[in-house]
Amino acid sequence: MGLRRSWKTVLGILILLALWQVAAGSGIWSAYVLPPPAKVARAMGTMLRSGVLLRHILVSGRRVLVGFSIAFALAMAAGTIASQVRAVEEYYGGFLEFMRHVPPISLIALLILWFGIGETSKIIIIVLASFFPMYLNIRKGFVSGSQKLLEVGTVFGLTGWQKFCRIVLPSAVPDILVGMRIGLGFSWRAIIGAEMIAAASGLGYLILDAQQMSRSDKVIAGILTIGTVGILCDRVFSLVIHKVTGTNGK
Amino acid sequence: MRITNLRKSYQVSGHHLPVLEGLNLEVADQGITVVLGRSGCGKTTLLRLVAGLEEADSGQIQWESRKDADQSAGQENTDAGQNRQSRGTSARSGACRIGVIFQEPRLMPWLTVERNILFGVRDRTRGQEMLPRLLELTGLAGFEKARPGQLSGGMQQRVALARALAYGPDYLLMDEPFAALDYFTRAQMQQELLKIYQTERKGILFVTHSMEEALTIGTHIVVLEGGVCGSEYHLETAGFPRDLLSTEMIRLKRELISRIEEPQKAV
Repeated sequence: MGLRRSWKTVLGILILLALWQVAAGSGIWSAYVLPPPAKVARAMGTMLRSGVLLRHILVSGRRVLVGFSIAFALAMAAGTIASQVRAVEEYYGGFLEFMRHVPPISLIALLILWFGIGETSKIIIIVLASFFPMYLNIRKGFVSGSQKLLEVGTVFGLTGWQKFCRIVLPSAVPDILVGMRIGLGFSWRAIIGAEMIAAASGLGYLILDAQQMSRSDKVIAGILTIGTVGILCDRVFSLVIHKVTGTNGK
Repeated sequence: MRITNLRKSYQVSGHHLPVLEGLNLEVADQGITVVLGRSGCGKTTLLRLVAGLEEADSGQIQWESRKDADQSAGQENTDAGQNRQSRGTSARSGACRIGVIFQEPRLMPWLTVERNILFGVRDRTRGQEMLPRLLELTGLAGFEKARPGQLSGGMQQRVALARALAYGPDYLLMDEPFAALDYFTRAQMQQELLKIYQTERKGILFVTHSMEEALTIGTHIVVLEGGVCGSEYHLETAGFPRDLLSTEMIRLKRELISRIEEPQKAV
């Protein structure tokens, strides 16, 4: 079944490529507006050989990794507080709810003003983008942690902290992982946006630079790269999830 | 264990719902005290109050502290007792270790059978020492590395039983532990519980709605009705295993049925 599905996926992509080729070859649009697939492939090949593409991927990837890690640490801390000390959450809950509705990109003007166009402002964008999906999932995992299992902890005389470490945390692992997966996707989107506004490297910058050079083939090559890397990241992560939850209950 | 004048009520959508209305009960520290009653009569509430999972409105639950427990266990007893008391259950006094077995197994799905059994054991080495005996006793030998999800309902409930025993309790509280099992598994588990009871000699407080179950395992049957103990039956002298089809047991069952159906007739 898996093989048949992957065949269907490949066929769908091939049909899309064929349509693209026909549209580009028809002469309705100029090669600048819609470059043919072969031209995009050539541009990608050139960038791959020169190592430019890999360099930009690594730069963007590094930013995602740093920002995502910080966001995860913050989300775990905030989620723990929210589930263990409800009273404290009331103080920051409103602010978080407000920030959740502010797109991180809208803050970029302020971030550049405060932190310059260096790495800091980009990492903050990623943190802002990936914090909320992780926080909300982690919080859900911690709060919905089965009341029935917590009672088991109570009858064994566990303290609140012991219950958290031995019951709440392990039972929240699936939710935490789902949050991390969504958060990773969000960070990847956010970094491209941030790099298109202010950066001198990274995949977002690559696309912006190509646009300014009127190289729409390179723009499309950049877009394809982003999608591919995004899928790869997600696949690796879901593999990790499968490994962890597969051997870790559920 | 002595329960005196225990009261508990709930607020359900604005209605005051009294569940226990001055219940008095004495549970022998050796013997199986079965609390029998229809759904909603307060059986589970009683058990939850005894387990310290809920607070009584008034009344007392007193434990006779045991001195024969070893030193380290004695220390833990006091800790557990203080924990429970610090949560405001001033109605509970004495220090006593209680093992609870719920209607559902309530195992940690991410832990192996072995780790689940030792969940409440603080001393790892002592836990490892007693593990083989517990596995043997509950018929789980060979399954120690399995996950709860891989086991049947009956097997999971055995793990829950082993977990409660590993804790080294003075009393076992069991809340309809076999209610979700099929007839055959249930009968088998009852016999195994009796076997365990005969080797461990713990005081057991067992809540059920099944008269057959009460008659099969109870040494002391208490019928809960109207929030108090309606009637009590002492079966200490009737040995195990019991023949539920004997004249004596049928007579008792008939009496229990009439007891439990009575309040309904009155209405």
